[in-house]
Amino acid sequence: MSRHDEHVQALRALRRTRQKKRLGDIEWFDAAYRVYMVALFGGGGVLWLSSAIGDQPVSESAAADILRNGPAVLGMIAMFGFVIGLRGGAQGGPLALEGGDVAYVMMSPVDRWWALIKPATQRLRSAISLSAISGAIAGQLAGRRLPGSPLGWAAGGFAFGVTLAFLWIGGALVAHAIRLPRWVAALVAVAGFGWQGAAIAWGVPGPANLVGSLALWGWRQHTVDLIAVAFAVGLVVAGFALLRRISLDALSRRANLVAQLRFAVTMQDLRTVILLRRQLNVEQTRSRPWVRVPSFGGRYPVWRRSWQSLTRLPASRLLRMTALAAAAGVTQAAVAEGTTTAVLLTAVTLFILGLEVMEPLAQEVDQPDRTDALPVPRGDLMARLVIAPAVALIPFAVIAGAAATATLGTLDFVAATAILAFPMMLAGAAGAVVSIVRDAPDPSGGSTQAFMPPEMAGFNTAIRTMLPIIVSGLGAATVLIVRRAHEHGDATVGAAVRGAIGALLLIGGVLVWVRKRDSWRAALRSFMADGRSYTSQQRSSPTHR
Amino acid sequence: MTTSALRTDQLTKSYGDRPALEPLSIDIALDQHVALVGHNGSGKTTLLKMASGLLDPSDGSVSIMGHAAGSQEARRALSWLSDTPTFYDDLSLWEHLEYVARMHGVSEWQPSAAELLERLGLGERRDDIPTTFSRGLRQKAAISLAFVRPFRVLLVDEPFVGLDAVGKQALLELFVTAGEQGATLIVATHELSFVHRVGRLIALRDGQLTYDGAPDATDVDELVRPG
Repeated sequence: MSRHDEHVQALRALRRTRQKKRLGDIEWFDAAYRVYMVALFGGGGVLWLSSAIGDQPVSESAAADILRNGPAVLGMIAMFGFVIGLRGGAQGGPLALEGGDVAYVMMSPVDRWWALIKPATQRLRSAISLSAISGAIAGQLAGRRLPGSPLGWAAGGFAFGVTLAFLWIGGALVAHAIRLPRWVAALVAVAGFGWQGAAIAWGVPGPANLVGSLALWGWRQHTVDLIAVAFAVGLVVAGFALLRRISLDALSRRANLVAQLRFAVTMQDLRTVILLRRQLNVEQTRSRPWVRVPSFGGRYPVWRRSWQSLTRLPASRLLRMTALAAAAGVTQAAVAEGTTTAVLLTAVTLFILGLEVMEPLAQEVDQPDRTDALPVPRGDLMARLVIAPAVALIPFAVIAGAAATATLGTLDFVAATAILAFPMMLAGAAGAVVSIVRDAPDPSGGSTQAFMPPEMAGFNTAIRTMLPIIVSGLGAATVLIVRRAHEHGDATVGAAVRGAIGALLLIGGVLVWVRKRDSWRAALRSFMADGRSYTSQQRSSPTHR
Repeated sequence: MTTSALRTDQLTKSYGDRPALEPLSIDIALDQHVALVGHNGSGKTTLLKMASGLLDPSDGSVSIMGHAAGSQEARRALSWLSDTPTFYDDLSLWEHLEYVARMHGVSEWQPSAAELLERLGLGERRDDIPTTFSRGLRQKAAISLAFVRPFRVLLVDEPFVGLDAVGKQALLELFVTAGEQGATLIVATHELSFVHRVGRLIALRDGQLTYDGAPDATDVDELVRPG
């Protein structure tokens, strides 16, 4: 046996051993329960979407419109996948190994192609699963109202999803292997989005139209679309061929972060997921702030500390926040025009924007030892840490308002937008505050969840996970008041004021919760302890016997 | 021309506009024992990580036994003992040893692995998962993994941190044994007593080479003082 074969055999033996152990450690009942829950909620979601979409055939003009613009619009999704891949690759993705694999496999003399082919295949497989299943579901739903068989549409959506996954992972592997500079990846992104945007707006042939056209194969088939498939496959083949060029530096940096990321995903800890993704993207705060924060004569230390944090946000993050604010404006405009479900997109967008801007609060929560050593009540401190980020949201509220107005294409709602934009943005960010503060360690120890019966624990976890998004959603839903007023011919300004008041009440409620949370929890714990003590006294008394 | 164990040529590393290692050119011959000293943040770990292939240089090059750092030949020759050991959380220490040894083509690994564990006081813990170990035991486990495989060059980063007296003594003995077998040792350390056990001292300060020579010909305390 050659030395190469010996290494590969050892690698396979290790992987077999570990796989056996993992299989042995699986709690099969838990796994089955998870599958059941995913099937229940996933299937339920598809059924709900099916009923929401209906099966009435679309009008001829709408069908013609879809046929004309569909490839370009869907091509934009493909372009997005490709660009995400390139950016990920330029930043060290898409592979992530365990720390042990980096230390022992990658540092051993085994041929790295053999060491990496399995993780690369797994990465591609998971991307295909995600996008192909999503594509097939979307295709099946589209097929209910468009010409062609639902099965053909599902197959078209599946093919589109697979091609998208190939572009994503293949692009990432190639970008990584050729050490594509990040600025080149950004340039390709701008050019790609611009060109594809032009394809949507003016009907010029877009670079990703062929990929988008694949999704319409349930309706009509263009053989030329297969060029896109060939390109995507070629990208993956090139990426796999270049696996030996994957940087150990990047793998080493990502190893620990990805382990934490997986744990955070398991714990449904969205804030940590976002934090770790920032670290994966090597996004660091600026060592020098954009502007120096005045000392305020030594007063207002919390206010100063908050601005010291905010003035260190890197340009990439500020750009992302601008994009999120603009996206929130666009989705709110869609809500105002009648697409009620877009309010969910606004909620998620504002929630993520809130997580981005609430950095000072998040930092304080992440350093509980430091916070608890300060001679101020923790709730007060947290509430004060929200003020500067709230002020920092003002320009983003302006951006969101401008994006909404531009999307609506009318000045009829300018006054209502001006009134509602900032409170709505604050209320959206309140969801992020709930998420951050909720995960703060309890200084008095213990968990109130421990007092719950087991049947309630799962439900409580679901509520805990959803609550921040629900809060952000309530803030975003204020636009529905304005829409309703407009539909009934009432004054939209008055409705906007009512909506703003509602949003401010929500924010006030969240702030009170932030300030009082610790004392409420302590009181609840004390009450429960008293109850237990009383019960045990009763049980031990002679009359009970 | 003799082959160097480790050779750097204008090796540079910077993070953004902050230099971690200024252009460095050094040549460490086979069989040499080198101590690498410097204050925290002086660039010692950066240098060792680039030599082991774990960190990409910003500029310049580094080779191990004449092969580019990180290449298959370099990995065969080099053993890297990190100050922050990493382990699989589903393999016992013994399974780690087996795996590392087999990956490096060692067929009769059990006797030497058992002896290593005994010397390090880990004999009783061989079937335990090393991720559950204390700081010192993790360091000992990492030492056993670094020595269970053959190597020509051993790069070690802060090996004594967290080790008890038994562990330190065992490690020093392992260094001696490796040296007798012709290995090149490069040890980054703050343990100044160790410096006088080696033949060559390299000092870094703020990423720059400040001393390269015999340890007895300089004031080591002065070398490790931050600038």
